Amino acid sequence: MEARALKPVLGVYCAAFILFLYGPMIILAILSFQGPGGGPQFPIIEWSTYWYQHLLGMTPPGRISRLPIGDSLLRSLTLALMTTVVSTVLGVITAQGFRARFKASGIVFYLVILGMIVPGVLVGLGMALLTNMLGIDRSWWGTAFVLHVVYTFPFAFLVMLAIFNRFDRSVEEASLSLGVSPVQTFRRVTFPMIFPGVLSAMLFSFTLSYDEFSRTLFTSGRDLTLPLTIYGTFSVEIYPNIFAFGVLTTLFSFTLLLIYALLMLRAVRSAQSFKGQEEAE
Amino acid sequence: MNDLELIGVGKTYPDGTVAVSDFDLAVKPGEFVAFLGPSGCGKSTTLRMIAGFEDISNGDILIKGKNVSAVPPEKRPTSMIFQNYALFPHMTVRQNIGFGLDVKGLSSGEKKAKVDRIMEMFGLSEFADRKADRLSGGQRQRIALARGLVVEPDILLLDEPLGALDANLRRVIQNELKLLQRELGITFVFVTHAQSEALGLSDRIVVMNRGRVEQIGTPHEVYASPATEFVARFIGSNAIIEGSNLSFDGDAAFVDTAFGRMHGRRSQSLAPGAAALVAIPAEAMRIQPANSSAADGENRLRGTVSMKHAVGSVGHFKVDLDGRQSVDVQTGTDNEALMRLAIGDAVIVDCPSDRVTLVARG
Repeated sequence: MEARALKPVLGVYCAAFILFLYGPMIILAILSFQGPGGGPQFPIIEWSTYWYQHLLGMTPPGRISRLPIGDSLLRSLTLALMTTVVSTVLGVITAQGFRARFKASGIVFYLVILGMIVPGVLVGLGMALLTNMLGIDRSWWGTAFVLHVVYTFPFAFLVMLAIFNRFDRSVEEASLSLGVSPVQTFRRVTFPMIFPGVLSAMLFSFTLSYDEFSRTLFTSGRDLTLPLTIYGTFSVEIYPNIFAFGVLTTLFSFTLLLIYALLMLRAVRSAQSFKGQEEAE
Repeated sequence: MNDLELIGVGKTYPDGTVAVSDFDLAVKPGEFVAFLGPSGCGKSTTLRMIAGFEDISNGDILIKGKNVSAVPPEKRPTSMIFQNYALFPHMTVRQNIGFGLDVKGLSSGEKKAKVDRIMEMFGLSEFADRKADRLSGGQRQRIALARGLVVEPDILLLDEPLGALDANLRRVIQNELKLLQRELGITFVFVTHAQSEALGLSDRIVVMNRGRVEQIGTPHEVYASPATEFVARFIGSNAIIEGSNLSFDGDAAFVDTAFGRMHGRRSQSLAPGAAALVAIPAEAMRIQPANSSAADGENRLRGTVSMKHAVGSVGHFKVDLDGRQSVDVQTGTDNEALMRLAIGDAVIVDCPSDRVTLVARG
């Protein structure tokens, strides 16, 4: 009785949720196909891929300047990759460290987590003041990079902590007891088994860094990252070429996600069939 | 030289909990030793100290005369078998088994020959290239054994290796294990909480309780002559009766109990005049109707039958002695007169004194 009454409510809730989640994106996607004379709003004057061509520099030069994203896109990708590598490595090592309970591990835990809790603007501002005081130049690959790591490392750490939480230590012990050194044991036994977790940690770090705004705002120096550049273009005038870019970058993210899902599926499938066997007995 | 020696080994955790204390043991080459005790008694901790997975707090562990107390697990000549098999899920059967050989500096030909031989021995050849996950529990336990043995350890450490198997498979693997150990002549140290496994498999049993060794002896010694109250209660099915005012006469010992004077074997650790517990194995007792003419046995106890059931060739009686204490009696089922006994019938239970053990209380 109750369930039947609840069903439509849940249905509406779910529809609203999806609408709010994807609605903005869908609007952007539709508007990105605006014709050359149209603005960043409805109605669509004429359907075309003009703004995509404009974005990629395939239209004759005109009144509207091209989005200055080439360099900043490269910067953001590089920064996200650097952050991914450093945060994931740190996350794995730290989580590995937390497997052995040590003194003050509670305090260290909260110190690490602090990086994702404190407001980004404050940290960014603080970093700017600090570097000013010390006379250090700010740059996207220096000051901003450090803050990106501080921000994403806790996520990678938490993911790895959850993975290690369910990790069966006896498998490593079996390896050690066969005479295999701890380093080789990590490389050949532990790492392949935690790989799905490592992938997740990488994905988190990458996406968080790629569109980080508040921490980067005060710390990236002269050369801007992609989110800052796009924000900068808003202050002039908005054209649908931004929407076209939004669609492309979303597609890029989805591709990343797809690769992640495929890798994950492969890793989980082999791990799961193993567990299933054990439970089947 | 002993294969394994534990000298005053103890383990105390940082929070002060004592897991193991004063563990002394010398294991001869080729011996099959079982650590037996309830969960939490320190048997697994001791095994893990031998393997090197737990630091030891006191004492020393010697393997083939060499002190290994400070040697890390991968440098000890031991190999450990885990209850959950601990196979490497991302490797095939062959890779699992050959894993320990990879670091031994063998040529690939030598390695392959060794792995092939041991897979043959364990009947695993046909699964060589399958992932270990596609196999049954028994097969996986065989892979774990093969993996542990192919590196030719001096001592194989087994931590409840049969615990995850069902009863039938457990019996099969248990027999295989016994044959294997005899064939290879490798020293086995086996941890279990199941007395049937310890009694059936091992040359010697170390009975443990609360981190202490209660008794070390052959399965027969431990079964027939329990050294402590714990062993008497934990192993087999003993009736325990409180006694006092112990006295000796040659090899015989006497105590006064609520059911009269009882007579057992002399025990080394007890002093005259002390309180003692009388331990009588259920299957050593004889039960007969109270009005029976044959009333000549030692250690006679009067009581009434309070429970009776028979499973195949084994009959179980519970005999109530005085309303407060009862004893379990195990008999055959071929005696018609016995099988006719009903609940409430008065009976006499007796037991020859050479089957009765006296142990200290506590």
